[in-house]
Amino acid sequence: MMELRDVWAGYKVHGREHLVLRGVNASFWRGDAVGIMGRNGAGKSTLVKVLSGRLQPSRGKFLRDPEFRVSWPLGFGGAIHGSITGADNARFIARIYDRDPYEIEHQVEEFAELGHFMHQPVNTYSSGMRGRLAFALSMAIDFDCYLVDEAIAAGDARFQSRFRMAMEERRKRSTVIVVSHSTSILKDLCTSAAILHEGRLAFHEDLDEAIAIYERL
Amino acid sequence: MSASLRPDGSLGALREFMRAFRVQMRVIGALVLRELHTRFGRHHGGYVWLFFEPMMLAGCIAGLHAVIGHGMPGDMNVVGFYLTGYVPYYLFRGILNRSGGALHSNAPLFYHKQVTYLDVIIARNLLEIVAVLFAQLFLLYAVGVFNNQFPVNPAQIAVGVVLMGLFCHGISMMITSATVIGMEEVDRFIHPMTYLMIPLVGAFTMVWWFPSDFQQIMLLNPTIQLFEYIREGHFGPIVPYYYDLTYVISAVAITNVLGLLCLKAAGHKYPYLSDV
Repeated sequence: MMELRDVWAGYKVHGREHLVLRGVNASFWRGDAVGIMGRNGAGKSTLVKVLSGRLQPSRGKFLRDPEFRVSWPLGFGGAIHGSITGADNARFIARIYDRDPYEIEHQVEEFAELGHFMHQPVNTYSSGMRGRLAFALSMAIDFDCYLVDEAIAAGDARFQSRFRMAMEERRKRSTVIVVSHSTSILKDLCTSAAILHEGRLAFHEDLDEAIAIYERL
Repeated sequence: MSASLRPDGSLGALREFMRAFRVQMRVIGALVLRELHTRFGRHHGGYVWLFFEPMMLAGCIAGLHAVIGHGMPGDMNVVGFYLTGYVPYYLFRGILNRSGGALHSNAPLFYHKQVTYLDVIIARNLLEIVAVLFAQLFLLYAVGVFNNQFPVNPAQIAVGVVLMGLFCHGISMMITSATVIGMEEVDRFIHPMTYLMIPLVGAFTMVWWFPSDFQQIMLLNPTIQLFEYIREGHFGPIVPYYYDLTYVISAVAITNVLGLLCLKAAGHKYPYLSDV
């Protein structure tokens, strides 16, 4: 599990600190499927960065079980390099996560269904293909917690259904945290929700109730 | 989160350190391979350019001087002199010029939390050092085939090139840190500076050519001493060489410690590079 205790975090612009998270408390357990809603600029990306371990909170504590592996933020467009091929990306990620490079490459090839594009530079991909590669990469490495951005849901209907099936299957043994400002994706993937508003996170057990509150904001 | 998971005592700390060390080695290895792909790719000659680039430039410069017929003081071979000057200078320029954009061009990597700024810089500079080292020795031996003057002490040349690389590595960490905290202007200065530095780094001059009070000032610069050291490795004791390895190694150590401190400060203050 992982826990945020009174976390304050943000970024610096021209030397001035701008804290977007102002005292966030949360804990995430195995099997949780939490949707985090918030308007543009509410601090969703900052929260994801804290959870992924990339950003140290300015104040407060981020505690994580050492055995609890959190994914990189999926669907942020990052994490893939454009000038090398999809296969190169797969092997690179396998290496840094200590997995067999060719086994992972094979898995990604099968899941992403990129055909011969797998051996072309990622720069030549369409955005849908990029999304498929990014998602296949994250599925190939086993995580205990998946941080998912709504952008991952880009892709054609066939991919969307595969994405949902894969997420459904993972949900039994992992935590899924979906960050979004649209509510339809959350309804599909999550069982509970939290609203990020004015730097704080409010949890709601009931998804529909949370969505109703969010829409009134 | 149970207490039994947490290693205790110095043995546990050592084990933890070894684990972290292995992760870092693995990441640097993966980054080197990736850097090879992104910089050279598989097409149009691919990795050959890694060695051919420095060779081509150094070979042309050395060849030009040989054709013009510049004689060197102390009967040093012209081609050997320019090869031992230009190739290490190529390393110096290569590392410093590319250090400004080092992290920005690799921003997507920092989505993976095990990849640190330091890993990326080490991987890039390691690749540069290995390539230049190979090019240096290869060129000196290749020229030796024609003029029958082979490196007297190749190990000394190798140590010199590696020390040059490590010195530049230290400085590159400072430059990179400056660009990370938003001082991109620094990068603009580096390019002209590396050219203006040509007479100052000692690539094409030797200390014994100058009057002795001037020598004292020259020897404050560790790169001048490194060129002397590399040339001694190539030519052997045919002319006087001036260097103090203790001084050079201290300078390398100091720039590296300062570079690491800068990087640490930059990394903690501005860990938002993945937005770029």
